[in-house]
Formats: sequence, C-alpha cells, structure tokens
Amino acid sequence: MVRAIRTIIIAVLIFGFSSGYAFAALQIGKNGLTVNGFIENDFGLKLGHDITKRDEFNFFEQRLQLKTKTYPEWNSLLEQWMAKIEAKADFSIDEYYNGRTNADLRVLSLGLAPADWLDLKIGRQVFTWGTGDYLFINDLFPKDYVSFYIGREDEYLKKPNDGIKVSFYADTLNADFILIPVFEPNTVFDGQRLSFFDSFQGGIAGINSDRHIIGPAKNPENAEYALRFYRNFESYETALYVFRGNYPSPRGYLNEMNRELFYPRLDVYGLSIRGPGLGGIVNAETGYYNSRQDEAGDNRLIENPMFKFLIGYSKDLGNDLSLGLQYLFEQTLEYDNYSKALLPADFVWDQYRHLNTLRLTKLYKSQTLRANLFIYFSPSDLDGYVRPSLDYDISDVLKLTFGANLPWGEDVYTEFGQTEHNKNIYTRLRYSF
Amino acid sequence: MKKFILLGLIFSSVFMFNQKSFAQTVEEIISKANLAAYYAGNDGRSEVTMTITDSQSRIRKRVFQILRMDIEDAGQQKYYVYFSQPADVQDMVYMVWKYTDKDDDRWMYLPALDLVRRIAATDKRSSFVGSNFVYEDISGRNLDLDTHEMLASPADVYIIKNTPKDAGSVEFSYYIISIRKDNFLPVKAEYFDKQGKLSRVVEALEIKEIQGNPSVTKSKATDLASNSNTVIDFSNIKYDLGLEADIFSERYLRRPPRKWLEQ
Repeated sequence: MVRAIRTIIIAVLIFGFSSGYAFAALQIGKNGLTVNGFIENDFGLKLGHDITKRDEFNFFEQRLQLKTKTYPEWNSLLEQWMAKIEAKADFSIDEYYNGRTNADLRVLSLGLAPADWLDLKIGRQVFTWGTGDYLFINDLFPKDYVSFYIGREDEYLKKPNDGIKVSFYADTLNADFILIPVFEPNTVFDGQRLSFFDSFQGGIAGINSDRHIIGPAKNPENAEYALRFYRNFESYETALYVFRGNYPSPRGYLNEMNRELFYPRLDVYGLSIRGPGLGGIVNAETGYYNSRQDEAGDNRLIENPMFKFLIGYSKDLGNDLSLGLQYLFEQTLEYDNYSKALLPADFVWDQYRHLNTLRLTKLYKSQTLRANLFIYFSPSDLDGYVRPSLDYDISDVLKLTFGANLPWGEDVYTEFGQTEHNKNIYTRLRYSF
Repeated sequence: MKKFILLGLIFSSVFMFNQKSFAQTVEEIISKANLAAYYAGNDGRSEVTMTITDSQSRIRKRVFQILRMDIEDAGQQKYYVYFSQPADVQDMVYMVWKYTDKDDDRWMYLPALDLVRRIAATDKRSSFVGSNFVYEDISGRNLDLDTHEMLASPADVYIIKNTPKDAGSVEFSYYIISIRKDNFLPVKAEYFDKQGKLSRVVEALEIKEIQGNPSVTKSKATDLASNSNTVIDFSNIKYDLGLEADIFSERYLRRPPRKWLEQ
C-alpha cells in the first residue's frame, strides 16, 4: 500500500513537472548556481525463475538526480587556475528491497588548470578510457554490473572513484596519471537481486549464496595507480596504458573452507589505436594482465595471467542507421600450469575465449525515437547477451524507454550463462530538468 | 562550303569560350559564397538556439555554443559544439575536424560516463541533432561534389543550380541556391527530390554585419514533405577571437574551455 502510494506520488510528480513545460532548471541564489537533474521511475519485469529475493521483478525504483557546477573565485589563485567544482548526487527508493532509500554521491570534484600544460581533478569522479564498446581491457575502473544487467541507464555502469587525476599536455605526448587511494570494487551479483554461478554452491545461486568477499585493507600500500600516455597522429588516436592495483572483481579464493573470495593484485599493460578505416572507424586495443599473486599460473585459487585483444569497427550506414562490430580474444597464458594444479572437483576454464559483439542503432521520427540493439555472443563459451532498447523523446524533457536484458548460455558457469535466469524487460520514464 | 565550316568553327569556338568564362564566373561565385557563409574571420563563436517545430506544432529546443577555427580558407576547419539544452544532453560536446579531401573526424564527449566516443559519420545528409538542418548545412558542402550552373542573374542575387556528380550519394536531385551579389551570402537554397519536386528549403531570415562580416543571424529550414521546420537564432557572434588549435582536442572535451564559451 505504501509502495503504491509512493509510486502514484512519483507519477504525479513526473507528469506534473512535464506539463509545466516552462519549468527548467532550479536556480539557487543570486550568483545563479543552477541545479539540473532528473526524476525517473523504473520497472523491470523478471522473465526467469530462480531463488533470488523476488521472482516477479528485479528492478523497481524511483530516482532523483541533482547536479550542479560552479566556478569559485574566492581568491585570485582559484580564479587564475580556472577552478571548477562539480557535484552530482542520486537519491533513490528501491522497491526491490522494500522501499529502501539510497543516497549516492556520484561526483564531488575540484578541477584546476594551474598551467598550460597541467590539469588536476581531485575528488569523487568517474574515470574512463580505452576504445571498447561495453568491452573493457585497459579501463579497470569500477563498474556496476548489477545496474547494467537490470537496465539502469549506461551512466550507472560506471562507478565513481575517490581519486586524483593529474593530466600533462605537451606537443609530443599527453599523459594522465590517476591515483586511487582506496580500492573500489565492481558491483557484482550477490544472489539477492541477481543470481549467478557460485562455485561454493556448485551451480547457480541466489539467496542461498553464502560466500564472503574480502576487500583489501585501506592502507597506502593498497592504493591503485593508472597511467595513460596518448597522442594523435593526424586522425589516429594512440595510447599506452599502465595499471597497478587489484582485479576489480573477486578473482581469487582467499579461503575455500570459509567461502572467502578476494581481489588479487593485478598489473595491466596495454596499447590502443583508433581512427578512420574501411569507410568507418576502426579500433584495436590489447592488454597483458599480470596476475601478481599467481604469475606462474600454478595457483588454482587465483586468476591466471592473461592476454587480451580487441578489434572493433563502426560504420554509419546512412539514413540514421549505424553498425558496430567487435571481436575480443582472451588467452589464459599459463594454462599448462593451471591445468596441472587443478583438483578433480574443480571447474575447468578454457584456455581461449572468443567474444563477438554487434551494435545496431537506428533513429526514427526526426531522431526522437531511437532503436538500439547490442548483442554479445561467444562461440567458444556458447553464451551471449542480447540488449535491445527503444528510447522515445515524448518531449525535450520527458523520455520513455523500453528495453530488455536477455542473457543465455549452454553452461551455467560462463559469463553470460550464469546470469540467464535474470532476464528482464524494463521500462523507464524520465523527466529531465 | 569551306567558308561555312570555318565560320561554324569560329562561332562555336567563340560560343565555347563564352560558356567557359561564364562557367568560371559561377565557380568563383560559389567559392566566394562558401567563404562568406562558412569561413568568415579566422575563427568565430556563436550561441545557437534551434527551435524545431513538427507537423503537429510540437516544439523542441536545442541550445548550444559553437566555436570554429579555420586551418585554411576554403579548406580544413575545426568545430567545437557545446550543448546546454535540452537538459539530458547538457555539457555534452561534439567536435569535428572538417576536411575537404576526406571524411571528417568526429568525436562526442559524454560527461556522465567521462567517455570520449569516436563517431563514424560518413552520411553528411543526415539530420543535425534531429532538426531540419543536415550536417552539410552546418559545416558546408564540398563544392567539388556538384556541378554548378547559372540559371539567372536578376538585380540583387545570382541564382545557381547545383547538380550532384554522384546522384546516389544524396537524397536530392539538385538544389537551387540564391547568392546575394553585394556580400556573396547564400540567402536561399531549394532542394528538389528525385521526382523533381521541391522538398526542402533553407533560407536566411536575418543578416547583420558583425566585425565587418555579413553574418546570418537567423535562418530557417523547412521540410515540405514532413511539414516541419527548424529556426536557428545565432547570438553573441564574434570573429577573430584568437582561438588556438588545442581547444579542439580531447583535453577540452573533458574540460570545456570556459574562457571561450561564456563571454
């Protein structure tokens, strides 16, 4: 009953706002601190059956986002350094957890440009680099895969970090140096909302999952560093990446008896290039994953070192239709050592993994209706994930979205196969201001 | 008989000569119009309000700022487009390195994801941000893609017919453009579809002289088939700001150059 009332209030708010068309952004104070954002309602009907907390839906929430930016000029240094403060926070009511309220500070940062060749950004912010489309090799920054699989906006796939980004610019080379003092992991499935393959349960688990994920201690030794050197050669963008930190997902067993997992140490070295080719845009990216706690690959409890390679192509086919194709190759590097170390009851992972993706986007009705289809398909794992969506701009401020998340797989332990009971179709109504 | 042939040769050569010089004039006019419309000053900025009205009189609005820098006149240019409205595209940046001899390079910056996306956009005839203007209306159409023919030359305008050399690459069969004789600004372009029917009209509604450059401050594109139109208002136009090329780089996608955007 409470939930029903709340939903009605939100709906009234959304329609009330949207009918008052003149209502734009909130203006606070004389200096014109402008607050923008949106309010939305999401509902995702669950198509599969498993033993998660609920069977009827896996996505039902109301969300308010507020954001603002300002250019402080309290003293001459801030003015001279072109200081910029940005803030963004989300407030949501999650009906999946019986109306649990969440406040989530997504951005609170100070940007500075102390010199022609130097930019700084300090505080909570989202870091992104690399060339993949929904595929990440050198972007080891935290992701929220729960958001991704239930159908939240793309924005929520990326989790913010508390960190410092220092950017250097020169004619010959640019560099970004990122320091993340406290490790922030990926948000992965825990069985409450989304079921997944839990090796401790020997199959797909929901609320019965009782594993523990132990994060690294919050001390300076566990700080993460990410470095990117990049420059353009005419139309071609090239980059070199170094990452020193932890696997963002729990890729190691700390203690099998206690069902404890952890985030092993990880170094990644990579390269990428992106530019015009074959009448479209071609990109290639590669990365060497050095699993520092299992460099020899003979520890069956910790992820093996890996080599990853990605090639992509996107093309504008005309008439507002565009195509994107990608191929990802992953190789477990110390496979012999890994195979020898396995115990009889262990699940065995393949040495090679091949993954293809397809993206088709078509715009209709003067670009107010966007049809989008993204498909993952792995011929080696025999699994995949289909993500269709339809966005319609009812007006400049009101947007209606329908979408679906349709993972499937031959086996229960592959990346997409393990999530196949989480299929949903979802809808979102968002009012932006 | 011989005389006749000789006479014929002389006449035809005179005629050919005339035609040729006439054609050169058309090329010159078209080039001057291209410079006047797209290359005024060495660089420029402007605030743009786009009002899109569909057949049911529903109105959508786009507000953005454009920074432009010419690398060479009639040649390479760089564009930086910073969106402020509607709210869901606020702070997005669209950047173009325009070339006359190959496909443009285009980028999009999505601030919520801190993502710099490369855009494969070879179709320059597609709508610009859902309006009745196409990409080529905004950044210019390569002159070499069409043949140009003078149709008429009344008192104040040249009327020139432009026919695409590669008919399959565009949605129109030809377009007729009116260029003002005093300042070479194109003031009207009428696009005819494959059946020869007038399908789209782009026209300058208001022209002002800014820093010595005649500038279109209001223009309108009307799509006759869908009965919709888009009006663009340009305000705060400024030329020769002294923009530097590094504005048009990844650095400033992630950190919009406020110095140039909010003046």
